[in-house]
Parts: sequence; C-alpha cells; structure tokens
Amino acid sequence: MIYLDNAATTRPDEAAVDKALKYLKEKFFNPSSLYREGFEVHREMEAARKNIMAHVVKNDKYEMIFTSCGSEADNMALFSCARRGNLVITKGEHAAIYNSAAALSKLGTEVRYAELNADGSVNEDSLLSLIDEDTRLVSVIHVNNETGAINNILDLSAKVKKKNSSTVFHSDGVQAFGKIPFNLDNCIDLYTISAHKIGGIRGVAGLIKRKSLTLHPLIYGGGQEKGLRGGTENVFSIKQFEYAAEKKFSMLKHDFNAVQRLNAYLRNALSSELFEILSSENASPYILSVSAKGLRGEILLHMLNDEGLIVGTGSACSSKNRYSRVMLACGLNEKRADGVLRLSFSPSNTEEEVKEAASLLNQCAQLLKERMQ
Amino acid sequence: MNKVVIIRYCEIHLKGKNRGYFERVFMNNLEKSLTGIRHEIHKLSGRYVVDGFLEDEAEEIVLRLQKVFGVHSVSIAYKVSAGMESIWEAVLKVAPENGTFKVQASRGDKSFPLNSMQINAEIGGRLLAHNPLLKVDVHTPEHEVYIDVRENGTALVFSKMIPGAGGMPVGTAGKGMLLLSGGIDSPVAAYMIAKRGMTPICLHFHSYPYTNMQAREKVEELAHILAGYTGGLDLLVVKVTTIQEAIHKYCAEEMMVTLLRRFMMRIAERLAIRFGAQCIVTGESLGQVASQTIEGMTSSNAVVKTMPVLRPVVGFDKTEIIERARKIGTFDTSILPYEDCCTVFLPKHPIIRPSLASVEEQEKKLNVDSLLDEAIESLEVVHIQ
Repeated sequence: MIYLDNAATTRPDEAAVDKALKYLKEKFFNPSSLYREGFEVHREMEAARKNIMAHVVKNDKYEMIFTSCGSEADNMALFSCARRGNLVITKGEHAAIYNSAAALSKLGTEVRYAELNADGSVNEDSLLSLIDEDTRLVSVIHVNNETGAINNILDLSAKVKKKNSSTVFHSDGVQAFGKIPFNLDNCIDLYTISAHKIGGIRGVAGLIKRKSLTLHPLIYGGGQEKGLRGGTENVFSIKQFEYAAEKKFSMLKHDFNAVQRLNAYLRNALSSELFEILSSENASPYILSVSAKGLRGEILLHMLNDEGLIVGTGSACSSKNRYSRVMLACGLNEKRADGVLRLSFSPSNTEEEVKEAASLLNQCAQLLKERMQ
Repeated sequence: MNKVVIIRYCEIHLKGKNRGYFERVFMNNLEKSLTGIRHEIHKLSGRYVVDGFLEDEAEEIVLRLQKVFGVHSVSIAYKVSAGMESIWEAVLKVAPENGTFKVQASRGDKSFPLNSMQINAEIGGRLLAHNPLLKVDVHTPEHEVYIDVRENGTALVFSKMIPGAGGMPVGTAGKGMLLLSGGIDSPVAAYMIAKRGMTPICLHFHSYPYTNMQAREKVEELAHILAGYTGGLDLLVVKVTTIQEAIHKYCAEEMMVTLLRRFMMRIAERLAIRFGAQCIVTGESLGQVASQTIEGMTSSNAVVKTMPVLRPVVGFDKTEIIERARKIGTFDTSILPYEDCCTVFLPKHPIIRPSLASVEEQEKKLNVDSLLDEAIESLEVVHIQ
C-alpha cells in the first residue's frame, strides 16, 4: 500500500507512541490532582506544552491551550474574538473556520470573505480592502490544506494591524506546523496547530495565543487550561505529540527537501495529457493538488485504491460535497473541480513509491478516460 | 399491581379460515420485535397481552410494537386483582389530571358483583369526588379510563390507546423483490408493501468505482431501518458497472437510463425467482423523472415476463412521499449526498418517451445475456436483523 494522503492524517510516530505509553500505563494520574504522582504528571505535561510551543515561538509573549483537535482550536479563536463587529476570513479556509464563521453570522457577526489567487493563496488586496475599524478578527490559513499554497502570514498580519491595530489575527497552521520553517511574531495573536498531521495521534491539538489576549472557553469545567478548556487533560496524547514534534522539527529542513524531491518527481511524471497541476511551484511541497482532465477525481480515487494507492480528493473534512468550495474559489469551473485529486506526502514516502504512484495515476486515468469516451 | 401491554390487531379477524395462519405469523412477528427484552405474550380473545417484563421497559416495548404491521393499537395497562379497591388504586394511576372524562368498563367475568354500568358509575363518582378539576362527558370526552374485568380474577386498567402501524402481518402476503436505490422513494415503497403483509427482499445496484462505499453504507442503513418494520430482511447487492460501461460505449447516450433500467428489471426477475419472490416492486412515481414516464415504465416492464411489477407510490407527489419517508424514519438517511449508480453516466438529455422498438434496437448492440450473467455473478447477500 502506498499512502499519499498525509494531509488527511499521518501514520503515528511509533517511537513517540512507545515513549509516551508510560502515561497510559503507569503515570495515568490526573494532572489536576494534589498528590505527588498527579503533580508530577502535571509538570511533565507543562514541559510538553513548553517544548511544543518552543518550536515556533522564540519569545515569552505566547502561551498555548491544549484542545482536542484543530477544529476546536479554530472554533475557540473565532467564537472568542468575533462575536461582534465584522469577521474577515478567506475563501480558502478550512471548514472549521468557514463553518464557525457561518454560525457566527447567524448570531449577528458580519462575515467578509477575501478572494483567492489562482493557486489558493489569499489575494492580499482583497483581504486588506475588507478590514475597517469594526473588524474584530482576521483568520488566514497558513498553508492551504487543498492546494498547499502558503500565505505569508507574517507580512499579512503586519499589514492588517497597520489598518486596524486592535484587530485580532488568527491563522490555522495545521498544515504548516512541523512542515515549513517559520516563527510566530508579534502581529499574530492566535495560531492553531495539530498533532496528527505530523506523526502525533488524533485527539490533541493546540491554540497558541498571545498572553495578553482574552479568550472564552467553549467547554466549561474544572478550570483546566487556565479555565479556557474544561476536561481532564489527555496527557498520553500530549506527551506523544511532544515527542513526535521534537523529531519532526529536528528533521524539518531535511524532510522539507526530501518531500520537495518527491513532489517535483511526481509533478514531472504525471502525463500532461491527463493531469493539470494545480499547486503552484512555491506551494508547500507536502501537498500536490492536480485535476484529472475531464474525469471525476473520486472515481479515480477508487480505482487507485483498488491498485493499492491511497490518495485524497480535496480536503478529507469536506469530501462529502461534490465540488470543493476552495477549488471553485481558486477559479476552477465545476468540470475541473470535479477532477481534483490531492496527493500529499510524508518524508517516509520513498522515491520508488512515488514512481509507482505516478505510473498508477497515469494508467488509471488513461483507463478511465477510455471507458468514459 | 404490575404493568402489562395490551395489543389490539387490525384485519386478521377478517380472514376466515386462514385466521389461524395469520395469527401464527402475527404472533411470530410480535415475538421477533421484542427480541432482547424478557417478556411473555398471551393470546386473549380479540387481543394479545404482553407481561413478565421489567416495569421500565414498557415504553420500549410500546415503541417496538408500534412498528409491527397488523397492530392496530397498544396500551400500557395495570393488571390488578378483580376487586373494586384494587381497581380504584390502578385508576388513580392512569386517571387524567383535568378536563372531561368517561369511564368505560367491560366485564368478561359475569359473576363480578357490579355490572359494567355500575362499575362506570362507581369509579366515575369516586374520580369526581377525588379531583374537582375533572368533569364527566360521556359523548366526546377528552380522556377515557378503561376497565376490563377478566374471567381469571384479574382486571386491566388503562387510559391511552396508542396507534400502531396498522396493515397486515409481514409474511402473510408473499415476498417482493424491491429495487432499493438509496433515494427517498424506494424505502417508502418497501414500507407500503410490507404494510400489506409482503416481505420485501431489497435489491441494490452499485457501480463501484463510479460510486463509493459510503453510498453502499447508506443503503445498508436504509435496509436496517426497514428491517425494524419487517423483523429483519435480506439485502442483495449487485454490481452493474460493466453494464453501464457497455451501454455507454455502444449505445445512444440518451438511452442510458432506459436501457440500464431494463437490465435492472431482468436481474430483479432472475433473483426474484431464485429467492422465491413473486413480484418486483419499485419506488417509481409517474412522471417524477425522465425514466418514470409511462413510456419508460412500459419499456422496463417489457422485459419482465413471469411476474407483476408493483409500484406502490406511482400516484404520489414527491411531497407526499417525503412526508411518509419522514414518518417511517428513512428520510434523513435518504438525503445523504452520495451518488447512486443511476447518476454516474447520466446523459444531459435523457429520452423521456422511449419507444419500445427504438430501445430494443439499441439493445441489440449489447450481449445482454453475458452482461446479466456477469452482474449476477457479483451478487452479495447481506442479512439484516
């Protein structure tokens, strides 16, 4: 089986799982408890919090709330900061942002949508033109989960703040964290990260926040996470996240280059008769979005599945809608959007796998094309 | 004082000499519906009584019995010894809190010291004295209190008649091969034939890799909901990918659906014979889509040689079908957005009034028998409880 759907989820880092297992088996204590054993677990969890955050934060102005998933972190950001005035998001946001914004709009928040460039990055002029004195929050996805387009959030956040210094800037960094090099700076107030896209396991994610910013909980409870997220902490997953992230960041540049080679190989090996490459050259190398010309991506997905190659169509979170909203916003017509496949890599993919994948993609697309003629 | 559930049935009493058979099937269906709950069902004259269950399971029993065809209505009743004081105690538990009421007693045990009218008067009088918010209205009461004094020294006291599903016991009217698409209409068609006592065998067609596994899962879910009314059923799944590809390759584009439906009917007939079904049932509604015109139906009927094709929803508007789908609980599943096999090679302009001659002409381009054999070869049978 060749797995090229790593943007949906990655295979958990086994060494990190093994190392963290003691937090399931032995150190199972509740970190909020008062006895020595619980307190020790609490300290080890705090170490994890610090270590995970330190990969992208180099000053002491930020803190992090653990959540159960990236979607929860995104919801928390929006529902905390955008209950009044207007909210600006891009048309390329993940469903967690897009649908939270839709829910806020029902509650009275005015939602404004910034246009996308053809590669899926946000159109800067469009974004900035939407910001005014009533803009409470701007959310711009860091790496687009469907096309891999990278938004320069450092630059964008600075420009947003220039227009309205009190606007909160949030970015969903789920597809960027542990994959592309960057550090948060002052203009970014909130940043979402997730474990399972980088070898962590599902069930843990985080919202990095500027300390001075006030947030409101979605889940009330026993005061965990500074009162911002009730519920006994998932220490095993948090520690596994810490270990997986540590490995990932230590290999960041190496992995980036390795994945870039795989991506470049596949780009070139796909028949231009059969496929249109949608991701731009300077997109995240972890994601390669293509459209099978005149074919339906989902049918191809099933055929490839039968041949042992696993790929995605657009975002796994929105695969229930026929056409990807993001692809349409990139300017694709329905026919081109229908053919979209998302190929997403992990550094553990080998060149042989990608070679085999390219040949299967070409073969299956050719076969389907003949059948549909 | 313990709780029992009284079951009244619909049309079984009409069935003359076959009554014993109908009652056996009905009893069997009742038993099946209560699988997993400890209980006993007793046959009394004109009704059944369930007892021996834990008190807090009464509601669940009622919910399940309401789905059994042939059940006219059910009531949760208190079973007490046949004496006025114990009857009165039970009446207090079921009596309304306000409004108008009427007591309706019947007496199987003629040696009971009071006759029905006297029981009505006595209990009605006590209720009026007990609760000043109550008033008697013997013509159009808001509430009724029923007292049934039985021959065996017990009495049943209850106040609500909860309507059942009606119809005839499933299994008393043969078997039908039902084409189950995953849309809104065919589950309603299944429900309607099951309501008249027919056991549906569901037949679903898929076109993997053109359709996905979620669509198949959705159909299994629909079959599961229907199985709640039929006491389990069989779902047959047949792959028609090669047929669709062949039609697409060799025949006129606008004929896709018309030709595919003829294949489906042929497969349905063959499988009906194999599985002992006496008819084919579809969820077609006249004029709803291009293939459901009378010409379309004529064309698909023409290949079925040995059995009738029933279309229980043929005269319904879409809104009427939706209303029923909501009522039977299939609507929310039916509208999940997965493609069924009909939409994959959907022509832009399907033919609306195909002539039999032109359809047969197109079909000559295909090796019908070998395509049918290949499709039937792919048959999977899923037993749904």
